[in-house]
Amino acid sequence: MATISARGLSKSYAGKPAVVDLSFDVEPGSVTGFLGPNGAGKSTTMRLMLGLDRGAGSTRFDGKAFTDLDQPMRHVGALLEAKPFHPTRTARNHLRMLAAANGLGSKRVDEVLAMVGLVEVARAKPKGFSLGMGQRLGLAGALLGDPHTLILDEPANGLDPQGIQWMRLFLKSLAAEGRSVFVSSHLLSEMALMADHLVVIGKGAMIASGPIAEFVRSSQQNAVIVRTPDVEALARLAQEHGGAVAREDSGALSITGLAVETLGDLAFENRIRLHELTAKVATLEEAFLERTAGAEEFQAQGLPPVTEGGAG
Amino acid sequence: MRDALAYEWTRIRTLRSTWWLTGLAMVLGVGISGLFSWGIHHEFSTTGVSSGDLDGLGGILVTQLAATGQIPSVICFVLAILGIFSWGHEYRHGMIRASLTALNSRRDLWLAKYLVVGAWVAVVALTTLLLAGLLGQLVLHAYADVLTAETFGVIGRQVVYGVLLTWLGMAFTSITRSQAFALVSLFLWPLLIESLVFVFFSFIPGLKDHTDLLRFLPFQAGGKIVNVLENSSSTFGDPLSPVGGFVVFGGLAAVLMAASYVLFRERDA
Repeated sequence: MATISARGLSKSYAGKPAVVDLSFDVEPGSVTGFLGPNGAGKSTTMRLMLGLDRGAGSTRFDGKAFTDLDQPMRHVGALLEAKPFHPTRTARNHLRMLAAANGLGSKRVDEVLAMVGLVEVARAKPKGFSLGMGQRLGLAGALLGDPHTLILDEPANGLDPQGIQWMRLFLKSLAAEGRSVFVSSHLLSEMALMADHLVVIGKGAMIASGPIAEFVRSSQQNAVIVRTPDVEALARLAQEHGGAVAREDSGALSITGLAVETLGDLAFENRIRLHELTAKVATLEEAFLERTAGAEEFQAQGLPPVTEGGAG
Repeated sequence: MRDALAYEWTRIRTLRSTWWLTGLAMVLGVGISGLFSWGIHHEFSTTGVSSGDLDGLGGILVTQLAATGQIPSVICFVLAILGIFSWGHEYRHGMIRASLTALNSRRDLWLAKYLVVGAWVAVVALTTLLLAGLLGQLVLHAYADVLTAETFGVIGRQVVYGVLLTWLGMAFTSITRSQAFALVSLFLWPLLIESLVFVFFSFIPGLKDHTDLLRFLPFQAGGKIVNVLENSSSTFGDPLSPVGGFVVFGGLAAVLMAASYVLFRERDA
């Protein structure tokens, strides 16, 4: 099973940097989520990894560049486009064509069609396929060579909720078999359920890379919510022990920088009565938005005014 | 390279457009030659045959009159669309990235496309021209021998022209990455642009003295590869000899192919 090792990936368009010196690893047996705002450079990075775009840096799949792999689909499966097929070539023929390039037979084509649930439309022309069916066909293509590594760009786009759940379980099962799965997505709640590790970029540059739990734990949104009749005393005590204190509209204190156990013990030792002591854990979305603040390529200037009774 | 050839071979056979363009070229080729043979038979049977009537007849008949130098080859232009589609579909339908993740050697993919499409066009063109010749032989056997050594020579040169035209269309599509632009250009260039240049040279005083240069226009030169009615004094004389036409037209195809290869290697997919 292979480790993906990306080093110094960089790419500019007309002098404007799109990807800036990105380096990261993707370990076998895990799903690594690739996150970033729109225009952050995720798709460009994936194309650079596969030698499709010209730029600086290198990516090794178990020590080999993609362009040095013999029959590459047997090593790395990729899904980069939503509908990467000719609209009138049948789904089965599309896969037969890809299979022919890698010495794979029709039996394997039928197997992957069954794996992604497209057996019934195998001989249909994909021009009538929904976006979700197109994604399934693209995934079937990526799986053709039974590769040890998968690189998937927004594979859940266009899938219905059942399809998204299927994709999540499917990718997790592939990772559980020891494969390296590198997947980008905008669906943060899905990523939270699916990924073991994260690579987060903004404006083409690295923001964070590591275990997802660590990323979420580092968020400033993690806090301890405390309600007490002795607000001033507890706030002073928390600050003396390195905590940052904010008052919420409800009158409760939101304290960061101190563990819930520490705060409980401090209150007990100083005879401060507590009515609530709750650990508020940040979501992946909160952590992501916090870390990528200001890194959006496209920023709205504000929300439109909302009038009572709707737009009516 | 074998994998790339297998990929391209499967690609070309699994497209419906390949089959209808192939069928169209064969029907048009045999049909036009059949109509021409029937017309000639009618003429010969009513007015008799003189030896001058038979000059270049076989070549003209099998090439659907392209060997007269008056019209372009119908079947070659239809078959060249296969070449335009071979690159056009890659970019129009976003296939190129899937192709290059299935085949990671750009050189192999590039070569395989030219070889497979070129071979397909050569076989279809050869088959069509031979069928056209056989039909002509059947219809005109009482008056002339259509399938002579000279006719086979013309057939060979027409096949070469067809492959060169296809490769030229492929290279142009690969460079522009636009199937629509390449399709329009393939027909506008010989039919309109070169005609416009002719008109300019005919009416603009400073250019009138240089009309002999017009023989080097690519499609004018390409037409000389199969022309059987003109005699040339030398390879690059006026008119060009078949070899001269091949060098000019083939040279343009080679230059565009080289440019397309360099760009395909260097550009983002």
